[in-house]
Amino acid sequence: MMPIWTKSGEKKPVTLLKVQDCHVLRYVSKEESGGKTAKLLVGGKNVSPFSKPESAHEIFKEAGVPRKQKVTTFNVTDDAIIKPGTPLYAAHFRPGQFVDVTAKTIGKGFQGVMKRWGFHGQPASHGQTKTHRRPGAISTNKAAKVYRGKKMPGKMGNIYRTSFGLKVWRINTKHDIIYVNGSVPGHTNCLVKVRDSKLPTYKDCNKNPPFPTFFADGDEELPEDLFDEEIFQFTDPSVTFA
Amino acid sequence: RVSSDGKPPKFQPPPKPVIIDRKTQKEESRFLSPEFIPPRGRTDPLKYYIERKDMIQRRKVFNIPDFYVGHILAVTTADPYASNKSNRFVGICIQRGGKGLGATFVLRNVIEEQGIEICYELYSPRIQAIEVLKLEKRLDENLMYLRDALPEYSTFDVNMKPVPRMEHEEIPVNKLQVRMKPKPWSKRWERPKYNIKGIKFELPEHKMKAAQKWSQPWLEFDMMREYDTSKIEEKIRKELNEELEK
Repeated sequence: MMPIWTKSGEKKPVTLLKVQDCHVLRYVSKEESGGKTAKLLVGGKNVSPFSKPESAHEIFKEAGVPRKQKVTTFNVTDDAIIKPGTPLYAAHFRPGQFVDVTAKTIGKGFQGVMKRWGFHGQPASHGQTKTHRRPGAISTNKAAKVYRGKKMPGKMGNIYRTSFGLKVWRINTKHDIIYVNGSVPGHTNCLVKVRDSKLPTYKDCNKNPPFPTFFADGDEELPEDLFDEEIFQFTDPSVTFA
Repeated sequence: RVSSDGKPPKFQPPPKPVIIDRKTQKEESRFLSPEFIPPRGRTDPLKYYIERKDMIQRRKVFNIPDFYVGHILAVTTADPYASNKSNRFVGICIQRGGKGLGATFVLRNVIEEQGIEICYELYSPRIQAIEVLKLEKRLDENLMYLRDALPEYSTFDVNMKPVPRMEHEEIPVNKLQVRMKPKPWSKRWERPKYNIKGIKFELPEHKMKAAQKWSQPWLEFDMMREYDTSKIEEKIRKELNEELEK
């Protein structure tokens, strides 16, 4: 995470996400998947092929791509279908877009009710006998049972969570890095899924994105860094309020 | 060994010892700002490389002078609510924190009997000028104890003129021992954890001895805490020099 400044001098915290060897692996049509839209399977970081059996390598062999650590699905409209085997780059996103980021949260292990659910516990003194971090009552008398989903101690973290509506401030095409506003679930160097935002406020915010994706062997030549309009670039002199 | 002549072999004097004068060699190494040195961790070094590129870019446009803790600086920032749209503050640097683009430094001064500390970000675009008024190192790297010292040690004239100084002179170390206000202090500065050499402790002997109870003499031998930055520093210095000369 790193700070970034706007032209009015405000500081915004920003997370750096690196697009590392992403390839499209397979196209699943609407009828095959049984959902409302077609799906594209996309694979992430390259990893050694020797730790899994040959049967697990079929998808990667069909696409002609080394084995990937993570495979995710994206729901895709019919006009955005991409041929399996195409690489995906950070330039697929443009500054000013809004994005949802999904990742597995940091695992905290077996945790008590105060850390896991934010219960208040009991006072430290004034006669409390051996009760300082316990949940207290778990149900009422009339119910005569404990409801399903009652908040109790258990394993915390290591589940998929999404941060919605994060603005993309800057894109580095040389190293394939996306600068995303705010924080993102997961530890440093964990695998993350970046998707166009599904929030209704940002439905019409993407103006002319590269569609269906950015092709490196195309005619477009992008500069090394793409900035949003509001960002203060370090090549400019210091900010002054006229 | 038996020589052919029968005489003893010719006396070979031992090789003369080569004295490498490390002190003169060290003086040639220039100052490297502490925010360039990446902290120990599991982050990808690519992130620090990209941050350094941005920092160098900013340094090309705006001159950030080399300064240590204990220097007296004057900082002009852009302020939308001031009459001249700019704000000048003079103070002694008591702390330099943060790594990378978020590096900060805290300036302290006492104005009209009110102590003021302002934490500035080195790479913030609102800073319009940083001038070093007086170059002076102190005995410690963290002067937070000035908050509990007598106010005369933190007052500096707001209209101070920059003290003239020859280049290539060593930065003088001010061995001033500061006198404190009566206890309680914000932190127990007499404890060995803070390792402060710049305070003239006027506490009774038994209190100073009692403070040594919290000493952790094994810490300096702990090998897991060692972080040798010499090689990293050299690489970064080379990179900096190359980029700034372009």
